[in-house]
Amino acid sequence: MDLMVRIAAQDGASAAALKELYGLTSARMFGLALRVTGNREWAEDALQEAYLNIWRIAGDYRAGISPPMAWMGVIVRSRALDFLRRRNSERADAAVELDEYLQDTIAGDGDDPLNMADASQQATALRQCLSRLDAKQREVVSLAYLRDLSHSELAGQLSLPLGTVKTWIRRGLTQLRDCMGRFAT
Amino acid sequence: MNLLRHPDLLDQIAAAHALGTLRGGARRRFEGMARENPGIRSRALLWQETFTAFTEIQPAMLPNPQVWQRIENLLPATRKSVLPAATTSADLLLTLRRALGLWRGAAVAGGLAAAVAVVVGVRLDQQLGQRDVALAQAQQQGEQLTAQIAAQARIEYVAVLQDDKQAGSVLVTFDPAKRALTLKRVGDYREGDDKSLELWALPPGQAPKSLGLLGAGAVARLTAAEGEVAPSPVLAITLEPKGGAPAGGGPTGPIVFKGALLKTEI
Repeated sequence: MDLMVRIAAQDGASAAALKELYGLTSARMFGLALRVTGNREWAEDALQEAYLNIWRIAGDYRAGISPPMAWMGVIVRSRALDFLRRRNSERADAAVELDEYLQDTIAGDGDDPLNMADASQQATALRQCLSRLDAKQREVVSLAYLRDLSHSELAGQLSLPLGTVKTWIRRGLTQLRDCMGRFAT
Repeated sequence: MNLLRHPDLLDQIAAAHALGTLRGGARRRFEGMARENPGIRSRALLWQETFTAFTEIQPAMLPNPQVWQRIENLLPATRKSVLPAATTSADLLLTLRRALGLWRGAAVAGGLAAAVAVVVGVRLDQQLGQRDVALAQAQQQGEQLTAQIAAQARIEYVAVLQDDKQAGSVLVTFDPAKRALTLKRVGDYREGDDKSLELWALPPGQAPKSLGLLGAGAVARLTAAEGEVAPSPVLAITLEPKGGAPAGGGPTGPIVFKGALLKTEI
């Protein structure tokens, strides 16, 4: 994606290139920010900060190393986690039922706005392997990573018994490992 | 217990570490083992890379159009910088503190945005004590010293070079400030007595550039300038005649290990 090069060029066309990048990627990145924060307003703030950050550091992006979506995803998750941590101290966090999270928790290939060449091989493998998990296991494993939650934090946020969370995570990781192992060979 | 003798258990722990659910003492012990042991470290890195993909597969949602308006309005005031913006000591301390505190953590404020895997890789390889000292000094001595530490400690490179069967690997770290290129062998690959392994930088559009030979030991230390290493997105190791490929002629043997070179800033 040569957009990064054009953004990093710091010339008159850079802002237009950032706008183009935003147009191509913001829906996917906003989806990520929303999954991390669980709150539209924070997700939008995180999105704003993330793209301003990309504007500053596009020159560090190296196409040979990571696909652009993975590189931006790391930035967006980081900003979103910052907001989540900062704001969690301000709110009385009402527990959310797991079922509220359970709609459409993995993006299908079909709604990807970008050519899959922009996604990493790992993303393709992880998507397929996650889709083989039971929906609840998939959701608990995904939220553990995306929100950086411990077993007990997950149990609290999802109103589930701690033992259930531990079991689902353990089984989910075992299945993921077996599945990802098959992808690697 | 030697985790390397229990690959299933190692994978289970490395996966829980990468996911973030391995906490407390277990997490610290595992990270200690990973620092000591390249085999454990490479499993930790691979799982970290795998889970980075979680950020790529979330369902898309349209943000409010006002978000772009806000970004556009802020662009003129958002200076693009060669170094990540750490213009005040407060910013920089925050950056350092996060680098110290967020093991797993993803990108650090001010523009650390290489892959998560890299951050962890470097964390695993770094001597945490030094950073603690640096942070304490920075807090005591103010902005000037803080800036110096930042200038010295900013950039490192790491690469995990794999063979095509993923049976072995070579971990590469490069500290441009010290011009120190360190290679650690993982796994039991052995070249024949009449052969040498040679490390190459592969700068785009240019001929491969030799960075030196690996000795027979587990660790090889080479010297290289940043300009020789940094422009290459990929490093590779080839199997060459004893003593290396003829000078100036490029590699003559097959690629045994290769992998992406990742830059990170702490």
